[in-house]
Order: sequence, then structure tokens, then C-alpha cells
Amino acid sequence: MKKYIGKRVLTAIFTLLVILLVLFILMQLMPGSPFNDEKLDADQKALLYAKYGLDQPIVVQFVRYVGNMLRGDFGVSYNISKNTPISQLIAARLPVSIAIGGYAVALGAIVGLLLGLIAAFRHDTFIDTLCTIISVIGVSVPSYVFALALSFEFGYKWRLFPMLYNNSQALNSSILPSISLSMFTMASIARFTRTEMLEVLGSDYMLLAESKGLSGPALVFKHALRNALIPIITVLAPLIVDLMTGSLVVEKIFAIPGVGSLLVNAIQSNDYNVVISLSFIYSALYILIMLVVDIMYGIIDPRIRLAKDDA
Amino acid sequence: MKKSILAFVLAMTMIVGLAGCGGSGATSSGESTGAAAGSGSSGGGDLNVMLETPVQSLDPQQATDGTSFEVIADYTDGLMQMDADGQPIPAIAESYELSDDGKTYTFKLRDAKWSNGTPVTAADFVFGWQRAVDPKVASEYAYMMSDIGQIKNAAEIIAGEKDKKELGVTAVDDKTLKVELNVPVSYFLSLMYFPTYYPVNEEFFSSVGDTFGTSPDTVLSNGAFVMDDYQPSATAFHLKKNEDYWDAGRIQLSGLNYQVIQDSQQALMSYQTGDLDTTLINGDQVDQVEGDEAFQAIGAGYLWYVSPNISKVKELANLNIRMALSMAIDRDAITEEVLKDGSAPTYTAVPKDFATGPDGSDFAEDQTKYSDVCRFDAKKAAEYWEAGLKELGTDKIDIEMVVDDDDAPKKVAQVLKDQWETTLPGFTVNIKTEPKKQRVEDLQDGNYELGLTRWGPDYADPMTYLGMWITDCAENYGCWTNEEYDKIIEECRTGELATKPEERWTRMYDAEKIVLDEAVIFPIYTQCNAEMLSPNVTGIEFHPVALNRVFKNAVKK
Amino acid sequence: MFKKKKEEVFSPASAAEAYVPVDADFVFKENAGEIEIDTNFASQSFWKEMVIRFLRKKSAVFGLTMILLITIMAIVGPGMNGYSYAGQNLSQKSLAPRIPGIEKTGFFNGDETMHTTSGSKTVNNYKTKGLDDVYYWFGSDNFGRDIWTRTWHGARVSLIIAVVAALIDMIIGMSYGLISGFFGGKVDMFMQRVLEVANSIPRLVIVTLLLLVFKPGMMTIIIALMLTEWVGMSRIARAEMLKLKEQEFVLASRTLGAGSFFIIFREVLPNIIGPIITQVMFSIPTAIFTEAFLSFVGLGIPVPQCSLGSLISDGFNSFTTHPYQIVAPILVMALLMLSFNLVADGLREALDPRMKEM
Repeated sequence: MKKYIGKRVLTAIFTLLVILLVLFILMQLMPGSPFNDEKLDADQKALLYAKYGLDQPIVVQFVRYVGNMLRGDFGVSYNISKNTPISQLIAARLPVSIAIGGYAVALGAIVGLLLGLIAAFRHDTFIDTLCTIISVIGVSVPSYVFALALSFEFGYKWRLFPMLYNNSQALNSSILPSISLSMFTMASIARFTRTEMLEVLGSDYMLLAESKGLSGPALVFKHALRNALIPIITVLAPLIVDLMTGSLVVEKIFAIPGVGSLLVNAIQSNDYNVVISLSFIYSALYILIMLVVDIMYGIIDPRIRLAKDDA
Repeated sequence: MKKSILAFVLAMTMIVGLAGCGGSGATSSGESTGAAAGSGSSGGGDLNVMLETPVQSLDPQQATDGTSFEVIADYTDGLMQMDADGQPIPAIAESYELSDDGKTYTFKLRDAKWSNGTPVTAADFVFGWQRAVDPKVASEYAYMMSDIGQIKNAAEIIAGEKDKKELGVTAVDDKTLKVELNVPVSYFLSLMYFPTYYPVNEEFFSSVGDTFGTSPDTVLSNGAFVMDDYQPSATAFHLKKNEDYWDAGRIQLSGLNYQVIQDSQQALMSYQTGDLDTTLINGDQVDQVEGDEAFQAIGAGYLWYVSPNISKVKELANLNIRMALSMAIDRDAITEEVLKDGSAPTYTAVPKDFATGPDGSDFAEDQTKYSDVCRFDAKKAAEYWEAGLKELGTDKIDIEMVVDDDDAPKKVAQVLKDQWETTLPGFTVNIKTEPKKQRVEDLQDGNYELGLTRWGPDYADPMTYLGMWITDCAENYGCWTNEEYDKIIEECRTGELATKPEERWTRMYDAEKIVLDEAVIFPIYTQCNAEMLSPNVTGIEFHPVALNRVFKNAVKK
Repeated sequence: MFKKKKEEVFSPASAAEAYVPVDADFVFKENAGEIEIDTNFASQSFWKEMVIRFLRKKSAVFGLTMILLITIMAIVGPGMNGYSYAGQNLSQKSLAPRIPGIEKTGFFNGDETMHTTSGSKTVNNYKTKGLDDVYYWFGSDNFGRDIWTRTWHGARVSLIIAVVAALIDMIIGMSYGLISGFFGGKVDMFMQRVLEVANSIPRLVIVTLLLLVFKPGMMTIIIALMLTEWVGMSRIARAEMLKLKEQEFVLASRTLGAGSFFIIFREVLPNIIGPIITQVMFSIPTAIFTEAFLSFVGLGIPVPQCSLGSLISDGFNSFTTHPYQIVAPILVMALLMLSFNLVADGLREALDPRMKEM
């Protein structure tokens, strides 16, 4: 196991380096320049390129960037927040995204799991279809419409929750955004839980467990659900990364100072360092979570547990 | 020749006027200017203000966008400040002297303090201005010092030919600042409220280093408010009243609460719940606020126009085709039916409401001045089109138009396409939307056919527009060239006309006529912003140039 | 497989005549054509059974019906009244839905309740503008374009984009996954690392870049969507391949001298077509949805063309002012999403993996 983990970590580091290089090349391909305004002339632009070292060959830039990065310096923003170190920019925003994303994952996973379980146990009945419809409705309407509708109803009409994100009452003002964000997770989890549960419920070893006299909650949670959990975690993992790294749509509507809108703004205004750093954080998180999931497989796998219990 | 500032303001030939789109914008600001002075108690708490975009930079010499300028000016005073009508009135400068040749200004500074207690001195201005031209700082607005301000040696320093110490600005003593210009610049004082010209305290700047302007602790205030809660690119931040402000008696608000909202419907709802006192809304919401006295159209100063690539696209090199395109545009329909935010249809190359002439009238007051070449006339357009097609020997033309992928430009482009294609048989327009940065680059590189673009005035003189279309100017995207035109502009800029305002004015009309006769651009509209301003609030001053909003006289009941 | 060969040789007719084997009967078969016939023994009955199972599920049948209905409307809908999707009429902008006949019931009569800052009021712009004979079934948008025509035109564009993207990503993702899974070892390792890199760069970065570099349009959007979807497809194909490649029929085929690619695409592929189709059905709604997101970010189909996504993002700005402008495209989109999901669920169950081991 240790050897396996060590090997995986090494490949992960290598993969991250490749990703960084790919990101660098992508930035080179990007049309436009970070310094572009009706009012800026070519000489001044050249000065700006020189100031930030963007006039150097890409290899030089890459080597220097990696060097700085190892010292914790991700460069500065070129125009979203001029000359602000990226680390400072992201440090202020990432926790907000992670918090709201975290709520959304929790909410989506719990509700989705419940919907999926209900649907599986009432397979092929009206309730099953209803659960499918409920879970799909959340993703049928684009999240920006859903978010605005939530804000209109609960924020504006009934005044239950703040319409805009507010640092001084972070939890309260995270409720509406978290709900809008959780919809996709909820739908995916509900659907997967249902499918996996159906498969598990029909499997031989469930029959065995049942024939051993197990029934009720013990059967569902100890045997069926735990077995179904592996594929669910596989689905959940990339969703976690997506949510934690912010969502443009929800951030835009609820005025949340998160990293999702930062990334989109950065892409559209060619703020290279911001794009590279945020993408890199995303990639690193993704690879890390995938690694954790792989390791978790061994821990959760109920067949292993079951074998132990029986022994 | 010593003039008092007041005398100068009265005598000044070029002043920046408040653009009142649809005539409704001006009312709220003027009345309270005088009334507010005197009463020292704060007039009602914090003002809640909506911003469209976060602040990009709090460094006065690095900032380039309206939001940043507005916020920097909230807590920093330059030599001059804007009054309600956009005219420069004294701020840190108490008085000034102008030499007889009009090329040397000597400013006397008043006793003002930075928020850390150190006095504001002439050296702070020298340091700030030198930063603006320093190639190492590479300020995007360095041209404010060189091309526009004409400060001695600015251009050479930017080009790296001279040391920044040689900039034509010197601190004679702590309270005296001397500025030397290359040529007399009639609007020079109105540049002084532009943040690029704001002072920076060198000692403080070196003590905070690279973190300058990234938190309340790393900005220094000498203005009406003090930053007390801020993070880079924050979506909400707060400023409180500066009790040590030299003119603190005038400030009524206890503070400013800024909130960035990118979705205009959320903004309007927040306004309705009372969370915002003033907010921008989108033209699509205008139907919702019709008849509300709080709704106002505020001039934004930008002229939106279509630039045809005259030098590279042979169809557009044809004058008849260009005339046809310009005449086929129903500008009223665009502003009235589609934008609905109060934007004004424009038929001149210099838009209305920003440049006032020697006789006190608006340069572009008469929008029918060029109606023989720039108006909506479908029949005439079709005739030009016919003639143009004949000259080109073809019966259909396909053209691509690049536009920003923002709401308003996309709307305008769709209407233009429809109007052109219905009026001009055989014409097909393909709309290509791009992020603004890329669109600007395409235009600057001449890599386009038709481009929908905009230009905001840098200073209150028609030259800020007319200067664009001279041969080889970077903003002359279509690379049109005309010797006669170049000659007029040269005369008006630096020639003998520079000191003869009336003649200069007439010559600039001649230049504008050439632009429209040749259909170098198709002007479309002058942008206004649809704004909701709570009836409880008075005294916010809106301006189309430099500082969008000034809150020094604002009162909240 | 061998069983079937035996049947061929010992047909009842030849058995009766006491056939004497000759050398030629034992020549090693390398004839690809004959092997191909073998692979098709896959039971017709399996597919028939699947159809029956699928039709038994009411929700799946409902989904299929809706998809067909919307597809038909997407074909004929834009031609059903005199309007065109791009034709503007600024004097008839922002009119509420009004349908002849139904208008007398009080619904769809062109009335619209406006929530203004100075209170709510009901207006009928048809009457105030004197447009007595004008009918916009779903209302008109801010340019005076017919929303009915635009909705169905948009549905057409969205469906084409989504289906084409899903099919292309099926082909690419499937091939990638199958090849990676089949060869295993170093090839698999390398291909999976490439996939990991591609997958862990935020999609938006790649997609935006693509849309900026290439000319915006349907083709570019399809490529962008394809790029975001093929990874999931390849994962499934690879997993299935790993499951099947050690099975007897693959070994047998290899023994008979079939090449690697023959085995991958002619032997294994037909056996995993079920999960693949299911995945395609799931990726169509995802593609529709992603396209809607791209429209919101401003990277959608170029104006005045429209897709469901761009209609929704256009109508979004009038959500609180003229809500009817967004209702029609949202409804169609929601129905499409739901239907594709129901059909996909139905298919997955009908093609239950444990039933298809042959």
C-alpha cells in the first residue's frame, strides 16, 4: 500500500508539472493581451510587457515561473487587481468559495442520497418517477435562472435571506447560493444512488445477507448502502472540486467574492497569472481528491469488510 | 500675472459640462452644492453605493478604470477637484500663477494632512507625477502626462531617453509646486482632478513597498473619506468620513458603503429593499421603473460608433457604400426602442455635453449640422448603395462586424444588422462577438471589417475626439488619411490657433465636417447610464469624464 | 463460438451421409469474412427483449415521446407562423403571449402584469398599440421577434449541437477508452496520464480558449462540448474493456488470429454498446446544458442565431420585467433535459449489465 501511494504521489507531481506547462502554452495561444485598451499605444504596451517579463521567450518565462512558484510566489495580477500578488488575491477569495462549495456538497449529497434511496426502494412506482423528476428538475433549469428565482422569492419578496453575500453574516447569506449550487450534485447523486442501489439490492450477496436473517436498517445501511457508496464517491469527487473552486454563475448573481468569477474575468481579460494559478490550484485539488478517493476505495470496500466480519 | 482660482474658472474657455441625458440628470446635483456647506454634523449615515465592477487598483498612477478613479478620489484630493458642473475648483492648491507665455504654472498648496499625520507637500506631487512617467512603473495612463498634459520632458522620460528627475515639475519649497509645459494647454487645470495627477507620499510608499494600495493600512488619505475596510478586488468595502480632511465641514455623510453587483436585476431588487441608495440598471429594466422619479439617465460620455476599415476592405473604401451604411442607421430606434437607458442618438463626430466653446455653447449642440451627410434616410441610403455597388461591379456584399460580447453592444449590433440588411439589398452582415480586450486588439491591428467601438473623452475639448483620425494615429483604426484634415488638426493643436479660441473652434468644425463627409466613422449614440437614485439622497454629482461620481456634497436624509 | 462452428460442420444433412473428414477441413481459418459472421451470432432476441423491457417503463416511454415531439416541433415549429427567427419589428417589441381563440378564455390574451417600482399594473400592449390582428403565440422579445419561432429554432440548434457533440465524443471517447483498456500496461499508463492532464485543467479555460481562437459558430461550440465530454465516455469504455478482454470469446478470437483492432472494434464493441448508448443519452442533456452555460458567459452561438441557451440568457435580463420571454425556452429545455434523463434511465435498466453476459 505504502509503495503504491508513493508511486501515485510521484506521478501526481509529474502530472502537475505537465499541466503547468500545458497551461503556459495555452496562455501563449490566447488571443489578445492583458494590456489592451483603446487608449494604450504600442510603446507603452511594450514597456508593460518588459516590466512583467512577458517579452522573454516562453521557456525562460516557464522556468522562472516554476522557480518563483516553488518559493510560494505566483506572480501578480496584470489587470483584475493590478499588481496584487496572486497569493493575496486568492487567499481572500478561496475560503469563501470553499465554504459555500462545502455547504453545497453536503446539502446536495444528503438530499441526493435520500432521494436515490427512496427511489430505489420504491423501484418502478410513481414515487420512483417523482424522485427522478425532483432530482432532474434541479438541473433542468440553468443555475443562473434558478439562483435569480430563489433570490427573487426568498430574498426580495419574503425577505427571509439576504440577496447578496455579506461577510458579516456569512452563514446566513450563504444559504441561497448553496442551495442553487447543490442542485447539480443532488441530481447526480440521486441518480447514481438509485442505480447502484438497484444493482446491489439484486446481487447475490445481498440475498446471502438476507438469508442470514438480516433485515431493516441494518441490511440497508451496513450492507447495501456501503456497497453502493464506492461509485457514489467516484461521482462526488470531481463535483467537490468543481464546487470548491467556485461557480461563476452563482458568484455573479449573489455578489460572492469567490474564485469562480475571478477565473472567468481573468480568462476574458488575459490576466495570465491569475488564470494559471487558479487553474493550477484546480488541477492540484482534482488530482489530490482523486488520489484520496483511490485510497479510500480500499477502506470503504464492503466486500473487504464483509469478509472480516464473517471471519 | 496672478489670477485667483475663481477668476480663472469664470474666464476659462473650456469647461466640462455635466451631461444631462434626456434632461433629467442635472437636477439632483446642483441644488445642494451650496446648502451642504457649513453644517458640520454628518447628514445621515452611510451612503450605499452600487458598483458594476470591483476596483482594479488603488494606486493612483496605475489605475485606468472609472471605478478605481472614483474610489481613489473619494479619499484623495489632487491640486484641483471637480465641482458639480465638472469645472476645476481648488483642492490641495490654494492658488496658482500662470506665466505670460502660458507654459509655467506655479501652485501654492494649502495646509492639508495625510491620514498618518504628515503634511501634504509639493514633494508628494513630484513623487506621484514622476511615478506616472517612470518606465519602470509603466503606467498605462502615462500619456496623460505627455500627450495630453504636455509636461516638459514627459514624453522623453516615458521613451527612456531622460531620467524621471528631469520631469518638468519641481517642488520649490514644501508648499510651492512649479510645473513647466511644452506648449500652453488650455484645459490643464481640469487635468488636475484626474487621479494620475494625484500626490503620493514617498516615505509612506517606500514603507509599504509592493503592498501599496492593497488594504486599509497601505493606502493614505488626504481626502474626504478614509478607507477602513478593503481587500483587493473586493465585492464590498467601506470608507468612513475623514475627520481631519481640510474641508471636513463640507462632508455630510458618515461614510460610503460600496457593493459590487454584476447582475442588474439583483441590483434593482436591492435598491427596492433599501439596501442600496443608488444603483445602475440595465435598459431591460427600464419598463419596470417607468414613471419613478428616482429613475435618471446619467451621461457616461462615451461616443459609440462604427469604424469601417477603409484601407483594408475594398468595399468599405468606396465612399458611396460608407454613406449608404451611415444613412441606413435609424439611430433613434436604437436608443429609444432597444437601449432605453437614455442614451442620445448622435449625428456628429464629437458627442454632446462635454466640450463647451468660447461663447459658452456646447460644441455638438446642433445635431443637425451635418444632416446632409449624417441622418437616417432609407431612400437616400439605397441610392448611395446602388451607386456604390455599380462602382464596385457587384450586387452583393458580405461584411463581418466585430463587437464586444457585452449586453449593449450586442443589442446594438443586432439592430444594425437588421436595419442594414432590410434597407440595403444584397448586404449581409455577420456579427462576431469577442471579449473587449480581443476586440480592441483586432481593431488596433486593423484586423477587422466593421467594428463597433466607443471612445470616452479624456479632457474637455473636441480634440480628444478629432485627434483620433489623423494619419497614423493608433486610434484611427481604419487608417483613413486626408492631408487637409491633418493640417487642420496640427493647426488647432500646437499651431498659432492654440491661443485663438474662436478661430480654433471654427477650424475644428471644418475638421469634423471632413470626417462626416467622408463617413470615416458612423456615429451612433452617446452613452447614458440608467440610474436609480433614492429620493432621500441629494447632492451626488455625476460626471461623464474623469470621476463618475463625487460624494463630497451628498446628503442622505 | 466453437460450438457454432461445430454446428456448421455437423449439420444434420452431412451427418446423415456419414461425412469423411479431409485435410482441407482442418486448415487454419484466417478468413476475416467468416469470423465476422460468427460475431453476429449475438442474439436478436436480446435486443427484442430490451425493447420490450424499455417499453414497459412508462417514464421512459413518456421521455421518448416528448423527445420525438420536441424534435418534430423543432423541425416544423419555426415555419408555423409568418415570422422568421431573426426578423425584427421594433414597434412590436415586448408583447405578451397572445393566441387566437384561447385569448377569449382570459389566458394568452396579451395581458401582462408589470411589477414596477411604483406598484403592479396590468397592461395589454396589443391594445395600447392598436395591434388588433397581431398574434405572438409565445410573445415577442425586446427586438419584436417572435418567441415561438425563436424557441423552436433554438431547440433545433440546441438539439443538433448536442446530438452531434454527443456522437462525436462517443466515437472519440469510446475509441480512446477501448484502446487504452485493451493494450493495458505502458500504453494504458500513458493514455491515462494524458487523460488526467486533459481532465484536470478547468474546462472553462480550454473551452474559452477554443472559442476565442476559432471563429464562433455551431461547429466551434460542438468541438468545445466534445472536449468536455469525451473523458467520461472513455472511462466507461475502458472499464468495460477491462472487464471483457479476458473473457473466452476474446481469447478465442485472438487464437483465431484476429488483429488487435479487429478484436477491439468487431468483438468487444458490440458487447458494450448498451452502456455506451446509455452514456450518450446522458451526455446529450449535459451538452444542451453546457451550451446554455457558454451562452451565459457570452461564448454561445453568434447573434442573431439562437439556441435554447442563448434564448434563456437573453430572456434572463428581462426575467423580472417580462418573465414570459424566458418561460418558453426554459420549459422546452427542462422538458428535453428530463426526457433524455428518463430515456437514459430506461435504457440503462433495459440493458441491465448482468443480463447481457453471453
